[in-house]
Amino acid sequence: MTRVVEVPAQLDDRSFDQFARAFADPSGRRLLFDAHATQWASPYGLVGLLAAGQAATERGPERPLLTIPGDRDVAHYWGRAGFFEHAAEWFEIHGKVPRVKPAHSSDVLLEITPVRGTDDVHSVVEAIQARSAAILSGELGLEATATMGFAMALSEACQNIVEHAGTSGWVAVQAYHWRRRLGRRVVVIAVADAGVGFRHSLEATQASRYGDRWSDATALEAALFQGASRFRDPGRGQGLGGIARYVNRWSGKLSVRSGTARIAIVPAWDDDNPLTDGLPAFPGSQVLMIIPAQQPE
Amino acid sequence: MRIDLKTILQRTVSSLYGDLVTRPTGQAVRGGIEQVLEALDGEQIAVIDFGTVGCLDISCADEVVGKLLLQHGQARYFLLHGVAASHCEAIEHVLERHRLAVVARDREGRVRVLGPMDETARLAFTLLSDRGPADADELASRLSLPPEAVQQALEALRGQRLVQRSADGYMALSA
Repeated sequence: MTRVVEVPAQLDDRSFDQFARAFADPSGRRLLFDAHATQWASPYGLVGLLAAGQAATERGPERPLLTIPGDRDVAHYWGRAGFFEHAAEWFEIHGKVPRVKPAHSSDVLLEITPVRGTDDVHSVVEAIQARSAAILSGELGLEATATMGFAMALSEACQNIVEHAGTSGWVAVQAYHWRRRLGRRVVVIAVADAGVGFRHSLEATQASRYGDRWSDATALEAALFQGASRFRDPGRGQGLGGIARYVNRWSGKLSVRSGTARIAIVPAWDDDNPLTDGLPAFPGSQVLMIIPAQQPE
Repeated sequence: MRIDLKTILQRTVSSLYGDLVTRPTGQAVRGGIEQVLEALDGEQIAVIDFGTVGCLDISCADEVVGKLLLQHGQARYFLLHGVAASHCEAIEHVLERHRLAVVARDREGRVRVLGPMDETARLAFTLLSDRGPADADELASRLSLPPEAVQQALEALRGQRLVQRSADGYMALSA
């Protein structure tokens, strides 16, 4: 028996909790991820879908099934974004996978890229500097020095996987025009893994301080606002704070989801909650960073 | 003594890398710096050259600057050379965490102290750096501050090994 997990028509950070709810049922049956009717998936949605595939593969005897989007353009976009290259490892794919090679373009600044170790972080940082400078300074109106800060934030987000997830993960970077949501161009970094999550990672060093209050939400608060780390080294735990500082400086958004909670640095242009608890459980951690085009003063 | 970070990065980690990112990379580079320091007299200024470094992330800055200062800053003089604005962001973040300060020269040749610091000490350092060696009375007169407060700030700067004693009083670190 299989259980169908419907992939939302618009798979992005806003519909992710709906997707997580469909995924969360621990019935033990083989899962079928049905993306046939999916019309759009953001980088956050795509790396989250890969994390779901990995988690389902690791908890069951068989890889889950995945039906690819019926819309040819949507499937081609998933191919260009590098999704199918990695999906074959975690899904039994049904449907005709388009023969397109992952390639960066003016929009796909970094195709979906696995992050397994520090070498991958070096490669990602090198690639993004070369590809994003023109977009960040030319189209988004950020100072030229912001490119390095962007690479720094990306590096820290990726290292979060290497240092804390206990498994590999994925990163993707894309620029696009948010006509309806913001009316401006944005650059989006999406990072996801199916690892142990913040609560488990920090438990040994932080849980006793919180007692009964220890949860996914308090773990995220401790990590983002207090620089908590699973290491006792006082220099550890600065990465997320550094990302938050960068995002704040450029009126961007940072959102970190782990387990049943999500914490966010929310800019004036967004209506997300700073902290949301009681969400449908989802494995690992998912980080979203959005830098919008700067508005002339 | 100038210590070129990119050379150390490529010798200790990979000849292909130009960015100081990830904590293991920072640990390896710090190890390379410490090897060079062994041959250096404690009174010599170790000039850490960032001039050819691309991206510097916070984890690497914590190893290459934060931990380096924590472990050797009491006994050695350090000057960061050729730092870019983006490097300063990562370095400042780390220095705030550890409550440390270091002298840095940017790519335009401007010298300043990075890290948290008392305002009187910062003003005194800037004057020493801009106008050359001076004693506490001279600086106090220029800053319109009590000489005792300036003397105290200068001694604090000396304790942090950001200034040295000179025949004329105190001088800012320079290379």
